[in-house]
Amino acid sequence: MIVTPLVLLSLIVWGTLVGLDLVSVAQTMIARPFVAGGVAGVLLGDPMAGLRAGVLLELFALDVLPVGAARYPDYGPATIAATVVLAGAPWELSLGLAGTIGLLVSVLGGWSLQQLRRMNAEAVQRHAAALAAGDSAVIRRLQYTGILRDAVRSALLTAVGLGGAWGAQRWLTLDRRTAVALTLVVIGAGLAAAIGGALRSAGRGPRRNWLAAGLVVGAAVAAFL
Amino acid sequence: MNGSGRALLRLFTVQGVWNYERMLGVGVGYAAEPLLKDLKAKDPVRHSEAVVRSAEFFNCNPNLAGLAVGATVRAEYDSAPGPQIARLRTALCSPLGALGDQLFWAGLLPALVGAALVVVVLGGGLWGIIGFLVAYNIVHVWTASWSLRTGLAAGMGVGAAIGSSWVPRSIPRVGLAAGFAVGLAAPIVANWYLDPFGRLSVVAVLLVAALGVVSGRLFGARMTGGRFALVAVLLTLVCRLILR
Repeated sequence: MIVTPLVLLSLIVWGTLVGLDLVSVAQTMIARPFVAGGVAGVLLGDPMAGLRAGVLLELFALDVLPVGAARYPDYGPATIAATVVLAGAPWELSLGLAGTIGLLVSVLGGWSLQQLRRMNAEAVQRHAAALAAGDSAVIRRLQYTGILRDAVRSALLTAVGLGGAWGAQRWLTLDRRTAVALTLVVIGAGLAAAIGGALRSAGRGPRRNWLAAGLVVGAAVAAFL
Repeated sequence: MNGSGRALLRLFTVQGVWNYERMLGVGVGYAAEPLLKDLKAKDPVRHSEAVVRSAEFFNCNPNLAGLAVGATVRAEYDSAPGPQIARLRTALCSPLGALGDQLFWAGLLPALVGAALVVVVLGGGLWGIIGFLVAYNIVHVWTASWSLRTGLAAGMGVGAAIGSSWVPRSIPRVGLAAGFAVGLAAPIVANWYLDPFGRLSVVAVLLVAALGVVSGRLFGARMTGGRFALVAVLLTLVCRLILR
């Protein structure tokens, strides 16, 4: 699919908003992969591609608990990259590649979040004396520069992801059987991630029974579809 | 006390400068700043001390940070001793972290995501996304507002206010809903993807999924879903290369 400069720009703006939403600003959950992918699909003129990529990466995101200082992948900009790979292509043959690009970008996103946190810590250390003196203006400045830093991180991550998606489309040509095998593997791995995460959260309590009940009802619904 | 509206807005950026030095500390200081303004006219020295305390180390789930902001600001206006306020902040870190993580990250969020995924793949499409965002953010914004109001009203007694509130009571229920919703979504999403493929493909996907769950149980946090997927993709490419 040919992406016009305007669409490219709108994808980078969307990726920046999505990246900011993950931690720094609002946490309205537009960073969830199925949300990020759905909107990216609309921007690319292929909403279904966005939903396919988004739902797949959402299965992986369900495995993640973003608690405390834990390092976790950034799936928002990653889903935008995956959507670009999938847009305008037959999804059965492209989902594996799109998912792989998305997962790689999400790992890079996790690393970039750690670097951001380190840079924020250095900024706080630099202003330790002013903070100890109760300077409100310094608190505000630290806050605004922290958010600006995250915006730059998110924009760069989205741009790198889009570059990776473009490169994958241009240079990675898989034969049909390999492409289908990759698609099946990422779907299976995504299901494993979602169920594995749910099992971990459930522990040994009644939540595990409700998880099992959900699986049974879901399987029954799927059988009737 | 003025500034509660601005403090509420600022709570939505409480993680804006999250770092390994003070974690949420500076963000909490930023959110508390409008609330502390009235103290400046009343007692400038106390105000300065309060600003310093407000930006010190703090960590909790961001959705419940308003409880800490409100309680410590109220304690400053009530002229509670500084070391006592510092101890309150320290004491609030763990419970607000644990309660918020269980309520939001392990409860409400997977429950709503699971339900939304079902709506999306059953043909709801973008409406599933809109419904999810509206439902989540109603709870998200209401909780932030409730947290700040409760913290401001309770002051040093915020621990008791949290204990008797809806938060600890709702965690088990939301957790059950989350378990059910994710369980419900998994087979329906699998069916959505696997519909165009043959039965052999379904068996292959189920095998990969089972292997992924088992490896996650065996290797714990070292084998996340994403890592397993990347390893599986690499192995598939190597196998295909050998079989050619």
